[in-house]
Amino acid sequence: MKFRGSAVPPPAPHRLQRSPWRSGVGRNINCPMNRSTRRLLEIALLAACWAGVSAGSDPAVSSAPATRNLRVVSMNPSLTRMLIALDAQHVLVGVDEYSADHEPAVAALPRVGGLFNPSLEAVVALEPDLVVVVPSVQQRDFRTRLRELGVEVIELASVTLDQILESMQTLGDRIGRSEAARERVAAIQSTWIDVAREASLRPRRSAVLVLQRDPLYLVGGGSYLSAMLDAAGLDNAAVEYSEAYPRVSLEWLIAAGPQLIIDSSDDPVPAIEHWSRWTSIPAVAEGRVVAVPQGLVTLPGPYLDRSLRTMVAAIRSVDQDSGASQGAESH
Amino acid sequence: MKILTPMRVLSSLSALGAILLGALVVGLTAGPSGLGVGEIFSVLGDRDAVGPAADIVLRVRLPRVLLGALVGACLAVSGVLFQAMLRNPLADPYVLGVSGGAALGGILVLSLGSAVGLGYEAVPPAAFAGCLLTTAILYAIAGANARASTTSLLLTGVVFNAFASAAIVFLASMAGLTESASIFLWLIGSLSSIRVEVSGWVAAFLVLGLGSTIPLARSLNLSALGGESAEQLGVDIDRQRRIVLIASSLMVGAAVSVAGLIGFVGLMIPHLLRLIFGPDHRLLIPASALGGAAFLVICDAIARTILDGRELPVGAITALAGGPLFLWLLRRYHQRVLS
Repeated sequence: MKFRGSAVPPPAPHRLQRSPWRSGVGRNINCPMNRSTRRLLEIALLAACWAGVSAGSDPAVSSAPATRNLRVVSMNPSLTRMLIALDAQHVLVGVDEYSADHEPAVAALPRVGGLFNPSLEAVVALEPDLVVVVPSVQQRDFRTRLRELGVEVIELASVTLDQILESMQTLGDRIGRSEAARERVAAIQSTWIDVAREASLRPRRSAVLVLQRDPLYLVGGGSYLSAMLDAAGLDNAAVEYSEAYPRVSLEWLIAAGPQLIIDSSDDPVPAIEHWSRWTSIPAVAEGRVVAVPQGLVTLPGPYLDRSLRTMVAAIRSVDQDSGASQGAESH
Repeated sequence: MKILTPMRVLSSLSALGAILLGALVVGLTAGPSGLGVGEIFSVLGDRDAVGPAADIVLRVRLPRVLLGALVGACLAVSGVLFQAMLRNPLADPYVLGVSGGAALGGILVLSLGSAVGLGYEAVPPAAFAGCLLTTAILYAIAGANARASTTSLLLTGVVFNAFASAAIVFLASMAGLTESASIFLWLIGSLSSIRVEVSGWVAAFLVLGLGSTIPLARSLNLSALGGESAEQLGVDIDRQRRIVLIASSLMVGAAVSVAGLIGFVGLMIPHLLRLIFGPDHRLLIPASALGGAAFLVICDAIARTILDGRELPVGAITALAGGPLFLWLLRRYHQRVLS
């Protein structure tokens, strides 16, 4: 199809500045190297990058025991999950609404509002030593006020994979759980490398990860989920959008023609039924539409290794189904 | 003021019809995927075509362009009717609270629907139910007291809108992150989430609305003189008000339930056409249908293409594009009148 190529323009210069192992930038460079060799080199590069990250963390704090007296308020579910994963939920004295609703371990803790409506008074009343937040625009004034009141606030970003791993290590260091954090980070990294290595033996496919159908939101190049797709052997068709979660038009999706649709929206209509109208999308025509549970994607948390494995299993399941009916895939 | 002759009606409407046709062509050819014009027309000629080009043109762009035209027409016509009935230049399709009722219905499903197994498909019917309920309340108020002044009708609308926005704010602050985003987009208005099936319904309400109100055009002209003077000239004000109220509400409800709250079209297109064609409703009502349709189709084409594959809500474009255009026309008109 003539226009399909034009729908995916060559990478913008700024994309080349991201981590070299992400989103398979190497594929865009015109070089005679064999595809799978290049893939393995990318994986090796990724491993080397991460080796540096782990070695760089501060050994002085790592020996400190988890501080019993520390009082922490978490304003974000991914940070709450990290604290629980680091076996440090006892330091929590308050959480945001979403954490309380979705994490049984902290359901009984005092609630201090949500992303849009954090209660300064409720947080201050808990007399925390530390409030952990994500650097959201919505809570900018809230953070400023807390700092003015002398409360320590740590902002931990969780949009890219690097940020999530770094946030977990920073959080672990601050609460005296450096070792646990390092182990978790290492577990994610090794799974990532294993999955990428397994995937490099299979043909790569173009894919989209749908977060919401109507209006249509996809995972763009800026999210950890794009790195997850990349590790699983998929080329995110929406990588041209540098933001994490762009809203795109249906027309763009049809023109992009992904070979796989991963749908993580929580719409009651089954994914296969919803997408079946658009038979010109190769993913639909070849029966490669797969639904994954929404919790897998909406919470960037401490168990990205498990999320990645779940996603790979889902992808393999449709591969086998469509493989049976379609025969060998030519790439 | 020029006299309205059949010839003038015909020529004005033909000109607007040509503009609408041009807008439809622009709407079909504009899009992020860079299809050639030749390819588009070859696909248009073949209803059973398959492939990405056919999916894009026949199943994404065509229904969207048609629905944009219908929604634009509904909003502009009900804008004219409300402005005439209420004798208030600030009246727009949303002034009587019908939109508030529709929005509340739609947003109830958007925010709480997933808990009871209702998907996005349930939003338009819920919004339309909200619109019907509001119309019934308004009708009860206007009908129970046939002498109810336009002021009390307006106030009822304002109060109802205030109530609905408060309820929407409440629902939005209770909703999760994805629901909040949907609510926000729905409140701005967008044609992105359309289904072909709904076009027929909107078209039916537009035809019903035009069919029942064009015969009233002459009496709407007379009511510009004021209720009492119009009655002395033989206008049945109560009947006129009832028909206009129901017809406009149904058109607004149909438009809002499929496209959310698209602003500006219903307020400004009638004024814009009044500046160009004069205030006679015999011309103004059909002209608004054509003008509103063309305007919204063009705005939606801009919304679809300006960000290269990303979607922009059309409600954000209507005022951005239409505002300056309207001010320019208004200025030119005043200069012409003064000279």
